[in-house]
Amino acid sequence: MNHDPYSWGRPTDSMYGQYNSQIANAPTSLEGNMASGANQHTTSPIVTGTSVVAIKYNNGVVMAADNLASYGSLLRFQGIERLHKVGKTTMVGISGDVSDMQYLLEILDELTIEHNYDNDEYSDNVDELQPDYIFTYLANLMYHRRTKMNPLWNALIVSGVNSKTGEPFLQYVNLLGVKYSSPSIATGFGAHLAIPLLRKLADSEEEAQKLTKEQAIQGIKDSMRVLFYRDTRSSKNYSLAVIDKDSGITYDNDVNVEDMSWKFAKDIRGYGTQKV
Amino acid sequence: MTSVGTGYDLSNSVFSPDGRNFQVEYAGKAVENGSTTVGLKFKDGVVFAVEKTITNKLLVPGRNRKIQTIDRHVGCCYSGLIPDGKHLVNRGREEASSFKKTYGKNIPLYALSERLSQYVQAYTLYNSVRPFGIAAIFGGVLKSENGGDNKPQLYMLEPNGSCFGYKGIASGKGRQTARSEIEKLISADDFDIETFSAKDAVKEAARIIYLAHEDNKDKDFELELSWCSLSETDGLHKFVPKEIYDEAVQYAKEETGLGEDEDSEDNDEDMDE
Amino acid sequence: MVAQYGKEPIQHQFNPYSDNGGTLLGIAGEDFAILASDTRQSVDYSINTRLSHKIKVITPDLSSEDKKNKLVGTNKSILFGTNGFSADGDALTEDFEENYKFYTSNQNKKIEPGFEFLNNGNEDKESSMTMQSAARNVQHILYGKRFFPYYVHTILAGLDEEGKGCVYSFDPVGSYEREQCRVGGAGASLIMPFLDNQVNFKNQYIPGTNSTERKKLEYLTLEECLKLVKDAFTSVTERHITVGDGLEIFIINKEGVRLEYHALKKD
Repeated sequence: MNHDPYSWGRPTDSMYGQYNSQIANAPTSLEGNMASGANQHTTSPIVTGTSVVAIKYNNGVVMAADNLASYGSLLRFQGIERLHKVGKTTMVGISGDVSDMQYLLEILDELTIEHNYDNDEYSDNVDELQPDYIFTYLANLMYHRRTKMNPLWNALIVSGVNSKTGEPFLQYVNLLGVKYSSPSIATGFGAHLAIPLLRKLADSEEEAQKLTKEQAIQGIKDSMRVLFYRDTRSSKNYSLAVIDKDSGITYDNDVNVEDMSWKFAKDIRGYGTQKV
Repeated sequence: MTSVGTGYDLSNSVFSPDGRNFQVEYAGKAVENGSTTVGLKFKDGVVFAVEKTITNKLLVPGRNRKIQTIDRHVGCCYSGLIPDGKHLVNRGREEASSFKKTYGKNIPLYALSERLSQYVQAYTLYNSVRPFGIAAIFGGVLKSENGGDNKPQLYMLEPNGSCFGYKGIASGKGRQTARSEIEKLISADDFDIETFSAKDAVKEAARIIYLAHEDNKDKDFELELSWCSLSETDGLHKFVPKEIYDEAVQYAKEETGLGEDEDSEDNDEDMDE
Repeated sequence: MVAQYGKEPIQHQFNPYSDNGGTLLGIAGEDFAILASDTRQSVDYSINTRLSHKIKVITPDLSSEDKKNKLVGTNKSILFGTNGFSADGDALTEDFEENYKFYTSNQNKKIEPGFEFLNNGNEDKESSMTMQSAARNVQHILYGKRFFPYYVHTILAGLDEEGKGCVYSFDPVGSYEREQCRVGGAGASLIMPFLDNQVNFKNQYIPGTNSTERKKLEYLTLEECLKLVKDAFTSVTERHITVGDGLEIFIINKEGVRLEYHALKKD
């Protein structure tokens, strides 16, 4: 193939005006940056993961996120796990840009390795990685990057149980460095669709302490169902993590939305399999 | 010490007329006088054992660890100048981390050995630096799901930068006893690496350290044991848990007849309380 | 229009700020000061959490007696409140805390008898930072980011060197002033005129003087102030969507710092 755009043929000049030869000679983004000496920063996410939802209960935290990574409206990767175990009693749920998520995972892996160098589990001075250590680290990282105007385009939920005090932990931080804790937290669409359901279960720490594990799991499952109904960038297949004070982390990366009802769809043209 | 006084031993990067680098050989002397360290391969992993002579009664027993972790799946111990060893381990950690960043999997032992030996070798080339005063034994096992082959690997890296793989190896003061003991062990007729388990290896490593200590009987010592095994530690490098450690020490004492009449070991444990 | 190379490119800019709502209020009395804020943190129309803490009590160590009395700070404490972009608020608070720690551990340290020379003879002063010094320090932190400001309204409350209540308030780039009272954040424009009238007696005249003689300034009692604070917050909760959920009131006087919590409407 002839790669010279000038010989490709194009509409007559009378129609579109003279061809701007700068278009063919435009530098690639890399060359452009080298020429201008400018650094390129993320200004919008590319491949994204949608909501992460989580709620505290009397003995720990339940968290879920689907396994989908979208490229705009294209459901691009269908096996991307977005809940990750860090240390022994912490799970980090990540929504937003997937490449930034994978960068964060690299960092977290290094963090745990370096932490283990001097903390062997048989000595009596072990200092295990706690959820709040990991959260503080991530929150500082996120705020630092936003301050450099080069954010990591994510919203993170850190959940877990402090292995010393047994205290459930649940906190949020996003690309701006804004952080907060609450008995239930959700990112993205989940903040609009899941939070009302979860706050009905527990609107305060006191109420969360009365919530059982089963109730919490059911609340999260219901939330994932509603999100699948209404969030176009969500998938039926999701991961569910339970971080319990006594039984530790149980993680299932292959849960599917159940008890759906699409009854309403049967008379609506465009849903399902009607003929014309 | 034929070299002394000839002037060829004063600097790195200068050969003597018969082709020797004396600075590197002197580094070897530092190793020979160092504490005994043993590395031993078994069915699905490696074990490390170190003799820590008690240089000061005020040191806290069970602390001041000598065996270190390079990556989750790699352990390392060394005889010679301890700070040199720590520096090498740091370099190993950097290499392991950079490998993982670049290739997305844990560093295989052969790659690590290659990188570390190049690093150590560079310290024999310039007159502005001194060679590493250590012989480092490192190894581990990389699970197949992490890009490895489930086969344990064990290396010893010497001050001149040469690095070889071994079935079992020892360095430091008691190396001769220890090495011949390892040879005896693995060349025995009934020895089969496929049945040589992690717990067996821990016991033998402990015994060998106790045996190698015999020439140095007047000094108290503390034994340090770590392992890296598919069956016992899921391929991670960890210190040996207390029960298995105690069992190994018991076995070593019985086999060598050491430490039974004198109760200095027990005293140390009392101090712990 | 078709985008053409060589013309000005369309710039997508990352916005490093967000508005997390909420209101912060400080009043100084004769021998006490109050700093209060709601506990809602929100963004756009979403409530992030109903219990966030926008005020930090920066205090010397508490005695066991203080703890028994459920105090959360000594009378040397600085009540440090921020409102606006919460990430900057948190960062500013941490920055100041660090400065506070360095300041109090280097200056006026308590020294063992016989070693006074180590401390330029300041050994009798207790380890603390005056409100005046704290305020000036906060100005430096804020102005240090003059061209990428901390997007917050900051209020400090505490007792001055004479034991009188004091409130310092700051704009995002560090302009500051000592005041009798100040409201910051979302509800500022709703509450501030109310406080002008009720605390500084603005537009209050002595009856019968035909609006010629102003009502004389006088200190309000703690009870009167607390009533104002609670009324202010319940009212602004009605009228402003980012204010509500809960109210934290910190009160500092010669006994120390005490915290009161009151629920606000959650809608």
